[in-house]
Amino acid sequence: MGEIMMKTHPRFAVVGHPNKGKSSIVSALALDDTVQISDIPGTTSKKRSFPLKVDGKILYELIDTPGFQRARRVLAWLEKHDVPADKKFEVVQMFVSEHRDDPRFNDEIELLEPIMDGAGIIYIVDGSKPYGEEYEAEMEVLRWTGQPSMALINHIEEADYSLEWKRALGQYFKMVRTFNPMTINLAQHVSILESMAQLKEEWIAPVKASIKLFEQYQEQKLEESSQAITKLLYDALSHVEELSMQSDEASEEEKERIEENYKEYLRNLEIDTQKKIENIWNHGHLQKKQTLLTFEDLDLFSEESASVFGLTRIELLITGATSGAVTGAGIDLLFAGHTLLLGGTIGALVGGIGAYFGFNELSEIKVMGQVLGKRYLQMGPMKNRNFSYIVLGRAIFHTSSVANRSHAIRSVAALTMDNRFKETWLDDDLKTSLEKYHKKFRSNNEIASETLKDYEILIKSIVSKSIGN
Amino acid sequence: MNLKSYLNLYELLQNDISTKEERRAFGLSHIIDNKPIDQLMSWMQTHVKKLQSPLLSETFPSYLYGVTMTLVIATFVLGIVSGLALLSYNGHEPVNVVYFMAIVIFLPLFTMILTLMSMLKAHRSKSVLVHLSPAYWIESMMKLLPNTIQENIVTLKINPLLSNWIIIKRSQFIALFFSLGLLLALLAVVATKDIAFAWSTTLQVTPEVFYKYLNVLAVPWREFVPTAVPSLELIEQSQYFRLGDKLSEEMIDNASKLGEWWKFLLFSTLFYALFLRFIMYLISALGYRYALKKSFMSLEGVNSLLHDMNEPIISTHASREESISYIPNKDIQGIRKLDTSYDVVQGWAMPLTQLSVLNDSMQVISPNIFEVGGGNTLEEDSEIVHKSDGEVLLYVKAWEPPTMDFLDYLDELMQSVDKVIIYPVGTQDESYQAKERLVDIWVRKLSLVDSKKLWVKL
Repeated sequence: MGEIMMKTHPRFAVVGHPNKGKSSIVSALALDDTVQISDIPGTTSKKRSFPLKVDGKILYELIDTPGFQRARRVLAWLEKHDVPADKKFEVVQMFVSEHRDDPRFNDEIELLEPIMDGAGIIYIVDGSKPYGEEYEAEMEVLRWTGQPSMALINHIEEADYSLEWKRALGQYFKMVRTFNPMTINLAQHVSILESMAQLKEEWIAPVKASIKLFEQYQEQKLEESSQAITKLLYDALSHVEELSMQSDEASEEEKERIEENYKEYLRNLEIDTQKKIENIWNHGHLQKKQTLLTFEDLDLFSEESASVFGLTRIELLITGATSGAVTGAGIDLLFAGHTLLLGGTIGALVGGIGAYFGFNELSEIKVMGQVLGKRYLQMGPMKNRNFSYIVLGRAIFHTSSVANRSHAIRSVAALTMDNRFKETWLDDDLKTSLEKYHKKFRSNNEIASETLKDYEILIKSIVSKSIGN
Repeated sequence: MNLKSYLNLYELLQNDISTKEERRAFGLSHIIDNKPIDQLMSWMQTHVKKLQSPLLSETFPSYLYGVTMTLVIATFVLGIVSGLALLSYNGHEPVNVVYFMAIVIFLPLFTMILTLMSMLKAHRSKSVLVHLSPAYWIESMMKLLPNTIQENIVTLKINPLLSNWIIIKRSQFIALFFSLGLLLALLAVVATKDIAFAWSTTLQVTPEVFYKYLNVLAVPWREFVPTAVPSLELIEQSQYFRLGDKLSEEMIDNASKLGEWWKFLLFSTLFYALFLRFIMYLISALGYRYALKKSFMSLEGVNSLLHDMNEPIISTHASREESISYIPNKDIQGIRKLDTSYDVVQGWAMPLTQLSVLNDSMQVISPNIFEVGGGNTLEEDSEIVHKSDGEVLLYVKAWEPPTMDFLDYLDELMQSVDKVIIYPVGTQDESYQAKERLVDIWVRKLSLVDSKKLWVKL
């Protein structure tokens, strides 16, 4: 059964000269950041399969292979057999069978085996380096296999020799495409898959089905990210930290401790959520450089930095006023306007003033639970209105950076947000919509699952827009 | 669905006992369109055996039952005692019906209004109205007693909506038994004693007003049991003033009629303390069921469980880890400056025209210049090796890392010549200056060739 499955789905062997970016391309197309990508030739010594599976069923398979090492020798062996075109495939098969245990041809066998099993050929070259005659032996070997093939011109560096490459590759491959795995997006990904589907008629339907699934996969990742961000915001805003008191009066040390515990909880919450989102987007191995969520006076809560991460004092004042007015408008509605819209005005004033003066405070520390001699300190839920925009802004920025990062990139990601980012996703209407939910999260009341779902939908639309879907 | 299934699902989700793949496999075999609760229930029933005893679904309901029964018995006894105290008759002074009415009519009405308000605020995690319930406080105090509850109950975090409705429902049940105690006391006293009932109040209430008032209170039963509504005559006869050391003569003359009040008190108890309380209990039971359903769907992990069961698992990653062999760093013989002439100059996969340009650029001369590798056959390369001797300068493209084909050739060449200097060069656009990173790749690979004849231009 497994054998039959193997032969029914489309398979694509990614082959080429060593160090031409085969693994980068596989990594980008398979959305897998575990592929070893290195300058050192011969990093890939065994073929490795990357199947697109849906509930365990393989729809198509990408195979990363080692680069050609002794192409001239292989070709010399093949050319010793003077056979018509229809028998060339059998000669290659014979080469594979005879040299399976020959260590000299380990890499060639690894790359030829999947092709001889029916995989389509995706031949990779580096278009930023000049064409060379030494490629012809390997292209000739691939031609001997008779399998459907296409060439992808990768651009590892900036120089462009694509024209000469296209001329040469056109002699050997029915389709030649340019592709940069470092800057790939969903549209480019889909476009490459569509090209791959054209290699063989019977592959068109399964690859097209895979494209649809790929889009569904993207949607799934968006949903999961929105769930994670919703949970982050809800947990961060509603969290209540408690600390048992040693005596009747809370000591300064206890107050400092509960405050530090509270901040630590919020920091860890963000770290865990980021890790979760990185795993959702298959970036579990991401190395990143970013500022941690800190609470120092001159950090997140200063007017200067708040304009980067959260809202400025004035923006917060307007948002607080708008949200207060919404509540007040409810009162007006209740009294059928007989309050002469006073409810809205008072609501706006109270909301705005509260937001303005609550700018630098996190939450108050309260002594709680004087029942039966048990006393404890309590901090939370979050009182600072700006905090929600700081955390949300950071989460949106992190998610869009991770989602848009190609899996072929192995460098450290510098996640540094600037002023302009906030403008890309946050407008006045959105602030009002978000504040409605944030207010509920801060209220310490039980939140209905429907409310969380609605917030999640709102977050999904923000993340989707910010990713550029 | 009941509390037991809620707790089982809670515990299963807390322990997170299944993988994403297992969940999806379950979802595929239990497709229930638009009935997430049914799907969750099936999943819970299938997996509940994986939980370790004692189950929360056993300990918590048993704890709840224990606490509830204790409170029910205590309040039932309190009801009887209160009833007996309110109806205590020493034969000298009549029993004031207003006390009993306060307990069987006004107290229930007041607590029921509070209950209705607490029902409306039940979604709040800290509802003052819920916390006013005696059930909440007695239970809170019982928690402090040693060994009354097991450890796993202490860590249990029930959804506030559900826990509020549990308290509301149980409070109604407990209050119902308090009323039953009152009823039993009334029946017992009426059956065993000859009680003279009277009414007395400091307020300026005339018998006519009191009559009207009682008629309103008796609306629910006055059409069916008119004898259970005190007549104006009875009210006038049974008005009692504490001042004076004797009962009025009118009261003594109508002593046999004063006992007629018991029917009114009985129906007041039956309607206000029992029937209305029972209605409240039914409402609280409905609210509890709603809260249970809501809380079931809001359990932490339910959304991801439903998502995992109903969304296809799409994966693109490799099924096995990659094994990597790294090239260790070894020393290699390097030269910094080229000589002006060499016995042989060769270029790996470089045409002769390019080799001439390179030699000019490097100010190197040689009588023998050959193109090797590239488009040459292996035989052609062997021939060139035979023609080569002395010192060989071998240009290579720095951007094309060394293949085994090149190393095979190098090995063959070194057997025929005295010295080979490998010179990785850059592209023409780079003025043949190779990038350090690319030269390093060559150095690392060539360092594996163990030969004194091999040198690299650094």
